[in-house]
Amino acid sequence: MGILLLVAPALAMVLALFVYPLAMSLVSAFTTKDGAPSLDNFAKAFELYGNDIVFTLVIVSVSTALTGLFAAAIGGYLILGAHPTAVAILRSLYRWPLFIPFIVAAQCMRTFLAKNGLMNNTLATLGLVNVGSLSGLLDWRGIIVTFVWKETPFVALLVSGAMASLDRATIEAAANLGAGGLRILTEIILPQIAGLMVVGLTLAFVTMLSVLSVPIMISGGSPTMITVDMAFRVNSYGDYGVANALAFVSYVMAGLAAWIYLRRNVADGSGL
Amino acid sequence: MQRTAVLFAALAALALSLPATAQKAVTLNVVTAGDQNMVDYLKDYLGPMFEKEHPGVTVKAVGTGPGDAGSQKIYEKLEAEKANPAWDIDVAVIHQKAAGEMVGKGLLARYSAEIPTGKLVTSEAAKNALGSDVGGYVMPMFNSQTAIAYNTAMVSDPPATYDALEKWVRVNPKKFGYNGIKGGMSGVSFVVGWIYAHSPDTDRLIKGPYDPDTKKSWDPILAELAAFNKNVVLTPGNAGTLDMLNRGEIAMGPVWVDMFYTWQSDGKIPPGVKLKLIGPGMPGQPMYYVVPAKAANAKVAEDFIALATSPKVQADGIVKRFNWYPGIDTAAVKPQLDEASWSKLFVDVTPEDLATKGKPFPIASYFNDILETYERKVQ
Repeated sequence: MGILLLVAPALAMVLALFVYPLAMSLVSAFTTKDGAPSLDNFAKAFELYGNDIVFTLVIVSVSTALTGLFAAAIGGYLILGAHPTAVAILRSLYRWPLFIPFIVAAQCMRTFLAKNGLMNNTLATLGLVNVGSLSGLLDWRGIIVTFVWKETPFVALLVSGAMASLDRATIEAAANLGAGGLRILTEIILPQIAGLMVVGLTLAFVTMLSVLSVPIMISGGSPTMITVDMAFRVNSYGDYGVANALAFVSYVMAGLAAWIYLRRNVADGSGL
Repeated sequence: MQRTAVLFAALAALALSLPATAQKAVTLNVVTAGDQNMVDYLKDYLGPMFEKEHPGVTVKAVGTGPGDAGSQKIYEKLEAEKANPAWDIDVAVIHQKAAGEMVGKGLLARYSAEIPTGKLVTSEAAKNALGSDVGGYVMPMFNSQTAIAYNTAMVSDPPATYDALEKWVRVNPKKFGYNGIKGGMSGVSFVVGWIYAHSPDTDRLIKGPYDPDTKKSWDPILAELAAFNKNVVLTPGNAGTLDMLNRGEIAMGPVWVDMFYTWQSDGKIPPGVKLKLIGPGMPGQPMYYVVPAKAANAKVAEDFIALATSPKVQADGIVKRFNWYPGIDTAAVKPQLDEASWSKLFVDVTPEDLATKGKPFPIASYFNDILETYERKVQ
């Protein structure tokens, strides 16, 4: 009884703020406006937004893969970097994007990645390119750039911590036997921290799946991410049914990621 | 003894006076949809002016975000607190779509006949919001209009109609930009104008009656728009179009007139960019002041709206400071304005243009059909 009382506040929060809205959302996805059970919302969601669903999955997957790549590179350099000053600079710089909200990052990227934006103009001033021949990156590429820029520090933070706590003897042994930095990273370090990498990337994947500001602010074209479609269904048509059907699709994607995450945790027995 | 009595008397006086002042102090909650400029207008301009004339009243302005989404939030909040004895929104500023729905649901008070400025409102938009009868429930705060902005350095002879624009875009690929339909109303407005330009019966779209089969006739029209889109830039939002005009990435694009002039006076748009309202017409829309049916401070709310729709405020606030077209009869506003401010607003888009090419948005059912057919056929 005492235990029950102790968990009651937390349980009430979870029930009221998560389980109840989730149930409402599912009910709304699987019923018509009159409350009759139906799959109409899903039929419409796939008819109108099928491309966007695939697009979302591709964008988020590619961003996750690139995030993993950069996080491994940053973590690896922090451990193996031969130049202490460069390592110190990287260590102090790489975390900054962690503290910048998605919406601010998106606003910065809007002026940075535009055709006549800061990046292209800088390159042109340096005489490297001719702006006239360039196109802006304010489309799917801009979304990926922003996501990777924003999520890499988070994963790198997790991964570099794990790398730092590895037994250095394995790394030094490999170096003594003549292995180069890249080989040590891919064959010695990464296999040992793979579990944590998967956990970090899973969390990054789920976060990116839920972002509305970045796709809406960076890319005006279509296809676009389903968060934009959900907002549009609600704001333009007051249509929560189709919006919730799309939400269900995104639960399934997030659920897959969660499944990987949980399986990893059970295998590791770790609490992360 | 005497001292204690004085002290008690003082305390009693204080205790008595407290509830009296508390009763007099009114907080007027004004909630507005729309961009930040709407909140600025209420907070920095109208609020302080009203507080000065009504001591004891504090105006609290809150924004709910741009576009119909912002109005939708106000609608949902009132709907959620429907059963409460008094609602916590006293004045709301909303778009047409929400106004029609809220009148239908009985969420709004019928007040415009009771305020002195009610008779200054003459526009059709004050009676009819996307096909819904809203007469008496709304006072237009302003009218806004979309038009095509073009950079005179890149375009000397801008197209005057949708047909001419189509040809121009074919010759000048990727020099025209608009924000689709999911990134703000200027893009939506451009698409609606496209349908108006190509549809045989525009009047029916604006006035009804609704026929669910009409949308079938739009397939070829929107196929043309899909082809048109191949040669244009899709911009990220209303501000995205203006940004791209500013950076010279596009030469032309649809914008809101008020937003355009405000950006231009802030130096965010070069002076060489001008406006043209192209034929057969592009839509515009008012925003409405409304009083919720159970507003806690309905009387003060009506006074607030009476001030907001007075010719003086419409001239100084709406036209001069924010570059909107007045919500009340222009004839009542013009005497309050100097010639320069008046003509500035009507240089590129003349009053004749507005009269002939400024269209309302279609009735709500056709509006939804247009958006959904666009989603189906163009994207």
